Amino acid sequence: MENSATYLMYIPLFPLLGAVIIGLMHVFTCKRPIFEKFYGIIACIGPILSFVLALRVFFNLKGMPEEGRYLIQKAFTWFQVGDLDVAMGFLADPLSSLMLLFVTFIGSLIHIYSIGYMGGEKNYAKFFAYLNLFLGSMLVLVLGDSPVVMFVGWEGVGLCSYLLISFYTTETENVIAGNKAFIVNRIGDLGFVLGMSFLFWAIGAHGFDYMALKANAHHLAPGVALTVCLLLFVGATGKSAQIPLYVWLPDAMAGPTPVSALIHAATMVTAGVYMVARFSFIYAHVPVAGSIVAWVGILTALLAAIFGMFQDDIKKVLAYSTVSQLGYMFAGVGVAAYSAGIFHVFTHAFFKALLFLGAGAVIYAMHHQQNIWKMGGLKKKMPITYYTMVIGALALAGCPFFSGFFSKDEILFMALANGHWGIWLVGVAVAGMTAYYTFRMIFVVFHGEPRDQHAYDHAHEAPLVMTLPLIILAVGALFAGYLNLPAIFGGDQEVTHWLAPVVVEHHPHVSKFVELLAMCASIVAFIIGIRLAWQRFGKGAEEPTFSGFTEFAYHKFYVDELYDSVFVQPYKRIGGAIRNAIEPNVTDAPIKLVSQLYMMVGQAFKVFQVGFVRVYAIYMIVGLSVMSLILSFSLN
Amino acid sequence: MIHSYLMVSVILFCIGMLGVISRRNVFTVFMSIELMLNAANLAFVAFSRLHESMDGHVLALMVMAVAAAEAALALAVVILLHKHKGKLDTNVFSLLKG
Amino acid sequence: MFEHTLSLMIFLPIAAGLILLLTPAGKGIARVTGIAISMAALILGVDVFTKFKPVGELQFTEFIPWFPHVGINYSLGVDGISLFILLAASVLLPLVFLLFTTKEKGYYANLLIVQGAMAGAVCAADIILFYIFWEIMLLPVFFMLGLYGGEKKIAATLKITIYTIAGSLLMLAAIIYLGVAYHSQFGEWNFAISKLTQLDLNGGVATLAFIGFMIAFAIKIPLFPFHTWLPDAYTEAPTATTFVLSAIMAKIGVYAVIRMVVPVFDEDFARFALLLSLSGVFGMMYCGIAAIAQNDIKRMFAFSSASHMGIIALGVFTCNVQGLTGSVYQIIAHATSTGVLFLFAGIIEDRMQTRKIEALGGIAYHAPVFALYFAIALLASVGLPGTSGFIGEFLIILGAVKFSPFIGILAGTTLIIGVCYMLWMFQRVFFEKDNELTVTFKDLTLKEGICFLPVVLLIIVMGLYPQPFIEKIEPAAQIQLAHLADTQHVQVADSVNAQDHGHLLELNK
Repeated sequence: MENSATYLMYIPLFPLLGAVIIGLMHVFTCKRPIFEKFYGIIACIGPILSFVLALRVFFNLKGMPEEGRYLIQKAFTWFQVGDLDVAMGFLADPLSSLMLLFVTFIGSLIHIYSIGYMGGEKNYAKFFAYLNLFLGSMLVLVLGDSPVVMFVGWEGVGLCSYLLISFYTTETENVIAGNKAFIVNRIGDLGFVLGMSFLFWAIGAHGFDYMALKANAHHLAPGVALTVCLLLFVGATGKSAQIPLYVWLPDAMAGPTPVSALIHAATMVTAGVYMVARFSFIYAHVPVAGSIVAWVGILTALLAAIFGMFQDDIKKVLAYSTVSQLGYMFAGVGVAAYSAGIFHVFTHAFFKALLFLGAGAVIYAMHHQQNIWKMGGLKKKMPITYYTMVIGALALAGCPFFSGFFSKDEILFMALANGHWGIWLVGVAVAGMTAYYTFRMIFVVFHGEPRDQHAYDHAHEAPLVMTLPLIILAVGALFAGYLNLPAIFGGDQEVTHWLAPVVVEHHPHVSKFVELLAMCASIVAFIIGIRLAWQRFGKGAEEPTFSGFTEFAYHKFYVDELYDSVFVQPYKRIGGAIRNAIEPNVTDAPIKLVSQLYMMVGQAFKVFQVGFVRVYAIYMIVGLSVMSLILSFSLN
Repeated sequence: MIHSYLMVSVILFCIGMLGVISRRNVFTVFMSIELMLNAANLAFVAFSRLHESMDGHVLALMVMAVAAAEAALALAVVILLHKHKGKLDTNVFSLLKG
Repeated sequence: MFEHTLSLMIFLPIAAGLILLLTPAGKGIARVTGIAISMAALILGVDVFTKFKPVGELQFTEFIPWFPHVGINYSLGVDGISLFILLAASVLLPLVFLLFTTKEKGYYANLLIVQGAMAGAVCAADIILFYIFWEIMLLPVFFMLGLYGGEKKIAATLKITIYTIAGSLLMLAAIIYLGVAYHSQFGEWNFAISKLTQLDLNGGVATLAFIGFMIAFAIKIPLFPFHTWLPDAYTEAPTATTFVLSAIMAKIGVYAVIRMVVPVFDEDFARFALLLSLSGVFGMMYCGIAAIAQNDIKRMFAFSSASHMGIIALGVFTCNVQGLTGSVYQIIAHATSTGVLFLFAGIIEDRMQTRKIEALGGIAYHAPVFALYFAIALLASVGLPGTSGFIGEFLIILGAVKFSPFIGILAGTTLIIGVCYMLWMFQRVFFEKDNELTVTFKDLTLKEGICFLPVVLLIIVMGLYPQPFIEKIEPAAQIQLAHLADTQHVQVADSVNAQDHGHLLELNK
């Protein structure tokens, strides 16, 4: 079996083991902490080992012929009921190997960064245990060779996300944010489970792993395929924070910043995109589903960009930008440009992790101040953070020749090439807005005069364990885009070719002129955005006040309040009604009726119960006499 | 012939029954019950004679044995009752009143 | 071990319980006896599990003629479905004896009797024998609830009594009908379950008998709307009794449906399956929503338990092998998750003297091990992959989608409803700020930690490697469904049918 690889299972296993080891050590020594110093280092071992294995996977795959380029390991039969046969199996193909590489790479970097950021925290061990658990689950998600195994990772990352968002559990709002994330994700997971179920009953009888599903995908009737696609996409909207389930991601910023960088920007939230790309063999058959995905994605991108322009909290700005970029990715996979979408996942992981870690360094320096209107002029104090963040911001805003430019442009161009004019137009507008809000943040935080002199005086550059990952990620943010250089710049789209055997896509031929024109439009949008930001915030600005539409946008269109009053409150009210009204009055009614009946009959018979033995004897005699009389008459 | 025996038996039974119903002393009630049992015994023996079979005799003996056992148990109960309330009036024992 | 393992598992605890009741033993002796006997049952149970072969037939059978002229016999046996309830009863009961020390002699004696009777009910291969054990099983519950319960114990006892007695009488009538029907169709008396499945029952009185059975079991499971005894009984009962009721006894109701109703009343079952599954799904949603409004942690778990039972019952009503296997799997998963949560609630009550959720908070900071155990059981109860809860829930939803997509979608909402109340409760009990009450919370002692460890490990092992369990369940599930396959209403999902299904989908294009 040249395609079997027994080492695949170790990739998720290393971080999972790390989590177990740290967890056990912590539980047994939490009364008298003696290992506090070592947890961070132990935690880094797993991800780094996984990264090494991921490299091995990558080079193994590279050495294989293109059509048979996959590695598979069926560790054991997980469960087998009737036709449903699910193995605990792992599959490394070009798609998952690409995900593996950057997940383990960025994961390792963020583990290292966390040693500095979380230093001195009370729950140091718990944090690293959760972080390791997360990475392990994420790798299960990426490597799973069937939807069910993928779902294990899918829910596992959701759990870790919950645990890490509500990491500072003493604060009620953090826990509520965690609950919200978990519950909203669960709504998505319902879609995933149902999607899997429909898929299984349609074509799963001959094997429920991706290989078999892909081979049988042509048996799917269009109606079923559409149902499956939409249900799976519901799962994706939950995990990847798309309309209508995006509301949890901004609140998720309650977690520690490395968590926001790793989970809520670089890796977990892109799982939905990965999943759609994984199921490209179904999505390719139903263009309608693709269009829905693309439109939901681009509208999310627009909505989140609008919200992003009015946020005060540095992490919320980044959170909405993540939602917005995820929207781009879905637009990409929706218009059947799977490789472009995945490529954006890849580059986004670098620059968004960079931006979050930079924001973390700023927050760390400002003693956990997150409001950008309390910052300012930090450029002088934190040069490394500043320059790396500017690189990240340029990449995010789509500045030409930075990584984000290539990937975003590829998506927009593919949308245009596949005839989705509307998506392209909205996308370009969002690109401009992205540039605006990103540089609004940069200018307010780093330029101008300090707004809070006291905090400014105490601010200082972060230690090396924190700046080193920043620098490495900045290099990534600069150059990751060149991996998929389009032909127009003399590249040959390495990533697209790499992914070609896995994802089902076709490349329409469009003239160079249109491609250039589209590119120019993006560049113009970028310049307008950055120019506006410079005008308003470049030389220091005061905290703006909002009115009219801007106030509406500042309050995020009151979507949270809407959901609360439409879903959460009625739910609680129904629960209360059941408890206070229905249970005691309606469902208890029959039993109350029975007992009352008994009471009434008892009351009626009470008269005869005089308590004297001889009266009972009289009853007996009378009864016997009557019976014998009846008997004698009936015998005659 | 059998009729006279049965008459005696019925009379005995009715006396016993009246005793059970009308007397308040526990002992008297108890003795009245014995009277009723003996009325039944008399009938058994009479029928036994009539049918010329020994079944009635066996049953009469059986009833006597039961009556003896019952007497032992009942006297114990009576003693306990007396200990409990200090009286042997059946009207005192009306715990079953509804 | 030897050929009467099952009888030993049944009568050892019953005999020990009766002896305890009749002798003037103190509560110390009673508890030691309980531990010893339940450990013995545990060893026997493990022995049965390891020797059990993954085939569908009854194993470890015992047969002694009892009233042969009316066809009532003492006959026992286990298959893949009863095995796991038997196992749950024998694995989990020692926990109760080891952990809860405060009660009196009679309490331990009753627990022992109930353990034996439950084993008897799941092993019985004769319907009269089953009925006898079923009734014996209910008696100790009345005593435990009525004598050792909480404030409103009398009302709760009365409620459960009225409900279960009503159910039992209906069942008895239905059983007698079955016997008579068998006599008139085959000319001899027989009450063996395997024989009764050959009956050809059609409409009229048979439907009435079916309804009688279903009401009896629906009360025990409990299915909506027969669930109202449950919150009161579970809340007022002592911890161990609640545990027995929810972890094992409720499952015997489901078991009885699978074992008796499905094969005997195949046509009626298929006809009523949609209604029944609606009842299961609606009960799941109703109780799940009710759970969020409860202030009392035990009452919340009671509703949560009822909610899960709705889903478990649904698995049976889906009439396909995935749903049925999922149900049986979920039975044991639920025993180890929600059942254990009841024990944890008991621990909280013991230490804090309160069950009010709002009085608690921040327990996780003072009892990390307890919080970890609790969290694992909780995650299993909300069906997180990697824990035992997921496998069963997934299979049931899968089966429900096949049965009817609409029911499947409704069933899927259990994923959401469960986390809502569980997470909110966890937040208010374990997170947030601690108060002067909860700072005194002592973490699990070493003994408690070791006692719960196997169960917590079982939750994870059953989530990661369920196949050894499933391969024992599945053949039995197939056999139970084979009866249904004959009726035209329902198609069993075998590969041929699935293929047809695929072609049908193609034709639909």
